[in-house]
This record gives sequence, structure tokens and C-alpha cells, in this order.
Amino acid sequence: VTTLVGRLRAAGVLGMNRRNAVFTLHWNPRRLYPRVDDKLETKRLLREAGIPTAPVLAVARVHSEVRRLLQELDSYSSFVIKPAHGAMGNGILVVFERDGDWFRRPGGRWIDRRALFYHSASIISGAYALGGQPDVAFAEERLEVHPDLAAITTEGVPDVRVIVYRGVPVMSMTRLPTRRSRGRANLHQGAVGAGIELDTGRTNHAVLDGRPVPVHPDTQEGVVGRLIPEFAQALEIAVRAADETELGYVGADVVIDAHHGPLVLELNARPGLAIQIANRMGLVPRLRAVDERVRPGLGWPERIALGCEIARLARDGELA
Amino acid sequence: LNRAAAVAGSILMALGLSIFAWKTLVLKLPVLPSNVENLWRVELEIEARGAGQRGSVRAALPSPDPEQEVFDERQSSDRLVFTIRTERGQRTGVWSGRFDGVHSISHGFRVQLADTPLALPTDLAQKPPKEIVEAYTKSTSRFPSDSPEIRELVSSIAPPAPNDPLGQMRTLLGYVTDEILTVATGSDDALLTLSSGEGSALGKSRLLVSLLRAADFPARIAAGLRLRAEKDARATVWAEGWVGGRWLPLSPTLGFFGARPPDLLLLKFGSGTLIEETGLEAISSRYRVLRESLDAKEVASFMVPSNPLLAAVSLYRLPVGSQAALRILLILPLGALIITIFRNLVGLRTFGTFMPLLIALALRELSLSLGLSLVGSVIALGIVSRLFLDRLQLLLVPRLGVLLCVVVLAITAQSLIGRSYEVKDLFASVLFPVVILTMLIERFSITSAEEGVGAAVRRLAASTLIATCIYPAFRFEALEHLMFGFPELVISTMGVLIVIGGYTGYRLAELWRFRSFTRPPDEAGL
Repeated sequence: VTTLVGRLRAAGVLGMNRRNAVFTLHWNPRRLYPRVDDKLETKRLLREAGIPTAPVLAVARVHSEVRRLLQELDSYSSFVIKPAHGAMGNGILVVFERDGDWFRRPGGRWIDRRALFYHSASIISGAYALGGQPDVAFAEERLEVHPDLAAITTEGVPDVRVIVYRGVPVMSMTRLPTRRSRGRANLHQGAVGAGIELDTGRTNHAVLDGRPVPVHPDTQEGVVGRLIPEFAQALEIAVRAADETELGYVGADVVIDAHHGPLVLELNARPGLAIQIANRMGLVPRLRAVDERVRPGLGWPERIALGCEIARLARDGELA
Repeated sequence: LNRAAAVAGSILMALGLSIFAWKTLVLKLPVLPSNVENLWRVELEIEARGAGQRGSVRAALPSPDPEQEVFDERQSSDRLVFTIRTERGQRTGVWSGRFDGVHSISHGFRVQLADTPLALPTDLAQKPPKEIVEAYTKSTSRFPSDSPEIRELVSSIAPPAPNDPLGQMRTLLGYVTDEILTVATGSDDALLTLSSGEGSALGKSRLLVSLLRAADFPARIAAGLRLRAEKDARATVWAEGWVGGRWLPLSPTLGFFGARPPDLLLLKFGSGTLIEETGLEAISSRYRVLRESLDAKEVASFMVPSNPLLAAVSLYRLPVGSQAALRILLILPLGALIITIFRNLVGLRTFGTFMPLLIALALRELSLSLGLSLVGSVIALGIVSRLFLDRLQLLLVPRLGVLLCVVVLAITAQSLIGRSYEVKDLFASVLFPVVILTMLIERFSITSAEEGVGAAVRRLAASTLIATCIYPAFRFEALEHLMFGFPELVISTMGVLIVIGGYTGYRLAELWRFRSFTRPPDEAGL
């Protein structure tokens, strides 16, 4: 066990206890959590700062508004219904296409209007909220897979997760939905995670269920060495979005939409640790390097440059 | 490691341990229970309500005899006057005065019950003294020993046997035990019990006393308590017959002859009523019982230690009810510690932070396998109902309400089934976490829908594992004694928790989660 711990430490892997005690607890004051835990609040914040987010189509705050929410969606053939306080992608319902009052979800399953109503009402009742408190249901435009990523995605939209520490991007990965993950971009549900080199925007390693994989399990297309489209801009809005929240340790989720380009999907104050497995790199040396080199008052372009520099050094094994 | 947490935690640990050391080393309080047998703390609690009239409450008090030793008697009288009256060897506690509103009165004592049964008398020719003959041989309305049915029965089944009075007694006992059914709602009257062939414990005991008197033995009713750990004591009656120089206990319902069973406390003889009152509007009473794990001297050292400060904060001086609750309460910090170890050092994920602790707490009076299978079946039923509820597409709170009903019904059904299988008091604990179980079912369903059945089952297994590890803490008597006798150990537990709270190293499960980093690169890479 001690040798295993030694190897993890040598690789600079960040563990859950340390993430909680040293990074989230210290850098993310509790009072700022509402800014990221409420997705509508996040969107408002980002919209005011001119950062692109996925367009909201309709909102239902109480049960009596669910009917109106569905009416407002009548003119759309595809959309996503989400809880404002959901975590880990829970409670998200994607509609690909519709035929009157029937809606097709990823995987080809059809549901009727009543099921949609029920789902929205469940969201408002708090079924997917962290503490079970009353929640808000909202509908978002369904984002479309960028053509460059279509070959390595099934049933959903991949996103780009960027860990931003003290305003500096430190690590990034893309999460590619699979048939098994039912279109969701969550690694523990069977999505592929591929680490992205911050400076090049290229994937360098990929895992499925914690094991390295060279190809997407559904399409058999290679997932390593791919260039993420518009990655520089994705990095920019991720860092600027993190700045808006004032949180010091954030996971920003960006979707590269086929039409709108990069959009911030949501922000997370307790981003997961699996990104290290996807990159086959530990976070600790990079976080430490940020602590050493970041100066207050640096603008976001300088901080992105610093993050890319640190990532390059880490890759070349030049960080202690 | 977090320095501040390590320092603060160590200080608390040292503080608790030094108090503990002072109490054990300097004051010489015993660390481990000395494993005394059959020592009990009994407390009678009475609530009496009156409308301003004078009245009294009279409760039978125990007397020492060869089979029981009584000490440490205490009582509270709540605005009334308490006196002890002794009549023909029977001690009675009397609370008298003006009863105005509700009076909470109590009487407590410790009793050491004999483990080895008393030997049967040998000098059988001994004649009973005059006062016993006068008081306990007459035919009365309660003990109609002169009635023709009784006389006839005695002469037909147990004719006088001057050389074998014990055999004659045994025959009469055997008859009432075997030929008369014990029915809780049966008659209390001796003759009715005989003619209908069934009677209550009191009815059967009265019949036996009548038969004994008809056979010329002095005989009387005796009453007392069956003591059970952590439960309210059950009052019961039996008969006593005088032979060979002493009163011989014999019970047609509990089936003993010559000596009381080791869990039976004698409180009263001559009548079956333990508590009587006059001038009251209402009265309720209960006997609370606690099994002691210390001998009398050790208890005394905890109750009145040589240090006056400690004497003031000794938990052993609290009423029995509070003691029983505190004994459980003081184990909870250890449960929290176990959960912390599993979650932050091992890295298991559970449903709800303290859920395993509450489950273990609820199961503490059952055997683990029985308890887990009961809880498991409630959860399984709930999960199945949840599948059906899903189709109805109900709103969240009503759905949870329905699940709660299912859980309550499942527990009710199990109690009924349990009764028919003689597993008594299945869910006697009011702490049984119905709400926790409901939320567990809901969370299980949501987790299995969101993250897959595998993830939900894994988390349920982790919760069960932790509950299983906490469970022994609630059952281990030495641990209970340790925490109850030395509550300062809670401070030390806090210290350990604070130190763990400052641990920023890897969790055991992370060694597996990040295994790709711990393997040589040629195996992990591509």
C-alpha cells in the first residue's frame, strides 16, 4: 500500500480528501455556490458579461407554469429540459425530434407529452435537486455536435471540461457520449474521456471505465490525437466564465456547437477528479505551479498563456 | 496533513484520555465490567393525577430473602409524603398527601437475584407457626378451599400423603399447569377457572392456592416482576405453599417449583396487586429495568466517587430511563467515527451520511442476520412499489408519502408475522428510522435510474457493510460500559474525528480508482 501511495504521490494525483480540504473548501467560499449551483443564475451572470451560453427557450418555476413551458416549446422540434439545480447531469431530458405530441429521446425511445409534463413537474418538486428543495425546470436549445467531433460521438453532445484554478486553466478533457452512456457526457455512466493538451488543443489519451481506449466503442474511430475544433475560444470562455463566478477552483463545461461555436454549458464548484485519469497526468504539480507563478491582476489572455505554458512543462516532465 | 487540525485534535484526544486516566489510575474506577451475574436496577415510575383531594398511592416494595438481595433504594415523592409500612414482613411504600394535578413519583432499587436455585426443604415434618396457619389456611371468597368441587378434586387426584407433602404439592401444581389453559383474558376467579378449564395467570394461581389450602397447606398468592434487559418489566403472579419451614414458590404458568427462576423478582405476597391507590382521578405506572454490569461496590465507586466534582456529574445517579437512553446515545460518536473512517479513509460511497448509523441503531435489539433481512425485505418491497409508482407519474412529495406508507405497512406486516413466529418486539424501538428507509428507497431508485443499477447496488452494499461494522458497537457490553462510565472519551473521539478531518492524503479506494498511475507505463499506456 505504501508503494502504491508513493506512486500516486509521485504522479501528482489529486485525491478527494485533498481536493475538498485544500482546494474547494479554501478557494470556493460557500456564499458563491449559488452562482454555479443554479444554472439559470449562471447563465444570467455569463450573459451580462457577454459570454455565450446555450440559449434558454422557456422556464417553469412553479407547477402551474409547466403547461406554458410545453406550449412555448411547441414551435421547436428538438430541445433539452433541465433542472436548474441538477448535479452530474441528473434530470436532463433530451428531445431529438418530435411528431405531434410524441417526442424522440436519444436511443430512439419515444415518449408522449404527458411524460414530458411529468418530468418537468418532478424537476420542480425537487426530485433531481441536490438537497431535494423545490427547483426550477427550464428548456434549452438542443446543441448540435460539431462536424469535427461527429465521428467520435453517439447519441449526445460531447463537452469540453476545463479545470480553472485561480483564473488559470490547468487541465482539460473532452467527454464523448456513447450508446451505453445514453448520450450523456458522464464518465461513470460509460462516456469516453479524452485528455486535451491545453497548448495544442489535441487529445493525447483516452479512457473508458478507467481503462485506456484507442477508439470510440460505438464508431471505432480513433479518439487520440484529434484536434478539438475552436479549442482556443473554448478555453477563453471557460476562463472568463470562471472569472465571473469569483470561485478559485472551477470546472467549466463548454460545448462546441455546430452553429453557435463554443458555449458555456455549466460551471461546477466541485469538479471531479477523473480528468486526471483521462489525461494520465496528476493535477497537483500544475496546481502548485499556478500557486508559484500567478500574479494578481493578470488579464485572462496572460493567464491562459500561463496555463498552456504550465501544461507544456508538465508534459515534458519539467515540473517538480 | 492539516497542522491546525492535527494540533486541535491531539489536544482534545489528550484531554479526554487524561480525564480517563485520572479516573482509572488515581480514582481506581474499573475500566471493564467485572461481569456480575443477575444484578439489576429497577425503577418504578408512577404518574398520579388528582383533583385536590387527599389520597395515597401504595406500592409493594421488595424485601430481601435468600433468593434476592435488595439495596440502594431511592425514591422521589413530588410534593407528597413518603413512608414505608411493614406488615407481616410485606414492605409497602406509601405516598400520601393532597393530590393536585399530576404527581410524578418513583422508587428505585438494585437487586441481586440468586443464580442457583434454592434447595428443597428437608425437614418436612415441621409444623407451621400459628400466625401463618391463621392467615393462610382459611377458605375465603378468593380462595374457596371449602367448596365441594375443590375438596373433591383434591381427594381424587392428591389424597393426603403425610410422608410426601412435596409430592402432593407437585401433583396439584401439575394438575393446574396441565389441565387448565392459560388465557390472558381468562377468568381471575378460582372456581370459574376450574369449571371452564381456562383462566388467567391470577385465576390459575388462585385455584392452586385454593387446592393447596384444601390439602391443608398454608398457601398464598405472590406477585413480582420478570426482569428483561432494556425492556419494561412484566408483572406476574404465582402461588406459594408453606412446607418444611419455609414458603415454597410454585407457578402454574411459568412452570417452576421450589425455587424462583433467576429472572423473577418477588415484590409482594398475599395479593396479586402491586400498586393500589385511593382518592385519585387516574394513575399510570411502569417498571423500568436495566441490567447492571458492575458489582455493588463498583457501582458505588461510580455513583459516589471520592471526588465531589465527579460525584456531581456521575451518570450512574440519573434515573434508569435516562441512563438507558444515554447508554445508547454515548455509542453514537463511535458510530460517527466508523462512518468517517469508511468514507474518508477507505472511500466508500453510501446513501446518506449517517444512514448506516441509524440502521445499526435500529437493529441493535435484533440479531444482525434477522435485522438485515427484515430491513432488506422492507427495502426490496419499497423498490418494487417504487417501480409501479413510477408508471403513475406522481409528484415527488406525494410519491414519497406513498413510499412511507409502504414502509409502514411492511413493518406492520412483519410485526404480525413476527408474533406468529414468536419473535417478539420486532420493531419495539421507536427509533426505527421509517423516514430514513423511505429516503433510502427513493435514493436507490433515482441512483439506479441515473447511474445504473450496478452503482445503486454497490452503494447499498457499502451502506450495509458500514451498518454491519457499527452494529457490534451497540451490542458490545464492555464498550457500552466504557462510554457510559467514561463519557470523556467522547471528547477523545472528537479529537480523532478532527485529525481525520484534516487528512488530505489518498483514500484507499483511490488507489484502485487511479490504478493507471500506479502501474508501470508499458502496462497502463497504449
